[in-house]
Amino acid sequence: MTSDALRRNNVRTFGSGTRPMLFAHGFGCDQNMWRFVAPAFADDYRIVLFDYIGSGKSDVSAYDPKRYSTLDGYAEDVLDIVHALDLRDVVFVGHSVSSMVGVLAANREPDRFAKLIMIGPSPRYVNDGPDYVGGFERSDIDSLFETMDKNYIGWANFLAPAIMKNPDHPELGEELAQSFCSTDPVIARRFAEATFLSDNRADLGRVRVPSLVLQCSDDMIAPGSVGEYVHRQTPQSTLRVMKATGHCPHMSAPEETIALIRDYLESGSIA
Amino acid sequence: MPDVERARSAGEILDALPCGVVSFEDGGAIVGVNATLASMLGYETSELEGRNVETLLGIAGRIFFQTHMYPLTRLHGRAEELFVMLRHKTGADVGALLNAVRHDFAGRAVTDCVIMEVRERRKYEDALLRAKQAAEAATRALQQRTDELEQANEKLEEQASELEVQQQQMQDQATELEVQSEELIAANDELLARADELERARFAADEANHAKSQFLAVMSHELRTPLNAIGGYAQLIELGVHGPINQQQREALERITRSQRHLLGLINDVLNLARIEAGRVEYAIEEVRIADAVAAVMPMIETQMASAELTSEVSIDPNLAARADREKVQQILINLLTNAVKFTPAGGTVKTFAEPDVPNRQVRVSVVDSGIGIPTDKLKNVFEPFVQVDVGHTRRREGSGLGLAISRDLARGMAGDLRVISEVGRGSTFTLVLPAA
Repeated sequence: MTSDALRRNNVRTFGSGTRPMLFAHGFGCDQNMWRFVAPAFADDYRIVLFDYIGSGKSDVSAYDPKRYSTLDGYAEDVLDIVHALDLRDVVFVGHSVSSMVGVLAANREPDRFAKLIMIGPSPRYVNDGPDYVGGFERSDIDSLFETMDKNYIGWANFLAPAIMKNPDHPELGEELAQSFCSTDPVIARRFAEATFLSDNRADLGRVRVPSLVLQCSDDMIAPGSVGEYVHRQTPQSTLRVMKATGHCPHMSAPEETIALIRDYLESGSIA
Repeated sequence: MPDVERARSAGEILDALPCGVVSFEDGGAIVGVNATLASMLGYETSELEGRNVETLLGIAGRIFFQTHMYPLTRLHGRAEELFVMLRHKTGADVGALLNAVRHDFAGRAVTDCVIMEVRERRKYEDALLRAKQAAEAATRALQQRTDELEQANEKLEEQASELEVQQQQMQDQATELEVQSEELIAANDELLARADELERARFAADEANHAKSQFLAVMSHELRTPLNAIGGYAQLIELGVHGPINQQQREALERITRSQRHLLGLINDVLNLARIEAGRVEYAIEEVRIADAVAAVMPMIETQMASAELTSEVSIDPNLAARADREKVQQILINLLTNAVKFTPAGGTVKTFAEPDVPNRQVRVSVVDSGIGIPTDKLKNVFEPFVQVDVGHTRRREGSGLGLAISRDLARGMAGDLRVISEVGRGSTFTLVLPAA
């Protein structure tokens, strides 16, 4: 099972360091999204990249609807990889939904993890009562699901654009399609459900690993108030609000992202 | 052409295009938009300049933009034929196809998008989607139906095999029942055969008993004739009919006579029993006063009582009477009194008394001795023919052992009975029960 995880999750490792730095991509893309950030740490760390099942070059046949119906299944994937490579003292870097996947994994086996770095985390996307603002109404999330259902064909087009444009060179199209954020549309639909309907607020208080929260300035998916909430609820957490806007600072502002992560890891500061 | 004109011309060309064009920076700020897109979404061009491109998207579109479109253009540099849902100024959805190219000019990235509204295509896609969903639903329904049928089939097969098992069990039970039935028939045949045998045996026993009684009656008669002759001739000799006899001869003759009488009494007893068993006894039932019957037999027993040194006590209400055969009653009483004398040591007492048993309309006449008594385990045998209870160290008593058997048979012949209670060392009580008069 665990050695299977390396193939199943298309695990790639590089770097000249010994301490592992495990990067977990978010909803909608694959391990390629780390390409502007991960190499910066290759001299000091052992970089571990992987794709969730249904994303990138993962083994789609390993998809189990039940296992991946909640984020726990994704956390199990992370732990499978940690065991397969026998990783210890892990610096876990998670984008978006993977921040919560990291929280779940670290809460299950805290001894394996040294630090959590959460980029644009949200423990719950849907507003809840007067006290919690996730940024979305339930109806917004439902309209997302509806759009995904309705635009199945459009999304499917999106998923393999190169194939559509290169009928004479399918091998090229395939290569490209799998290289850039390719996602199985059916799995993507279920991943969206697991992500946007999750509620991991109670898990934050149980975190025993020091963590860094990177919060973008103008993020419609994870608003600033959510980042503050995560920081408040998570023991030993540090909050850094970035100049970068949007939801993907590791792509839109890799230098700032690298600097903040490095600063955190080197200073070991706990705010 | 001057630059200004060239630019104006390019702007006019852009505005004249049948598709929307928008350029925006990585953060989403719109740096250029053509009139076609503005009108497609219900805006003036000026309203859109500087806005964030995300405001032209619905919530789902924004999520899609952040999670899919931006990473793709950022990593791949371009995206082609993406379907996006734009938002009209009025809030209405506008479906569109989009091609995007991201240019990176020394750290300032701009993404140019060309957008085509897809009303007709959407209809087809909607229809396709509906058809696909319907097909999927049908497939699921079919699969479910197939599963149900398979389950039903499995259940039926299970039930069938269960029924087979039950059938086999029933067959086994039927076979077992047949075997049992045959066994029962065989057992029944055997029982019938046994019953036949028993019937034959009983018939044979009856025959044998009858023959025995006949034999005894005949033999007794045959024996009595010579015995009477022996007695008669001994008496004649004793009387000196054939000449004088001396003292020794007299004593010898007395011994002969005593033996002859004893033997004759024995034979009479046997004859009586045989008669009773052969059903040849007749009873002359009348009202018998118990006191009279006892008084009649007492003289016959007094001599024996006196020589055995016994005391006799009689206590009977003179009015007490039974319905019985007087002679038979006296015979029974003699028998009981003789026995009492026989088995009671010297100095003892023999009591005779009678009492009415009103509820049963009976009369009880009891003879109580203070003799050696009868052990409990022997009591039931005392009325059997030819039985004399063995009392161990005491001497063997005279008698045929038929007296009590005859007495009880006679009592029962008069609708009465003869009972005994006894205690070893304390004595016995024989009670003659007779119907009250």
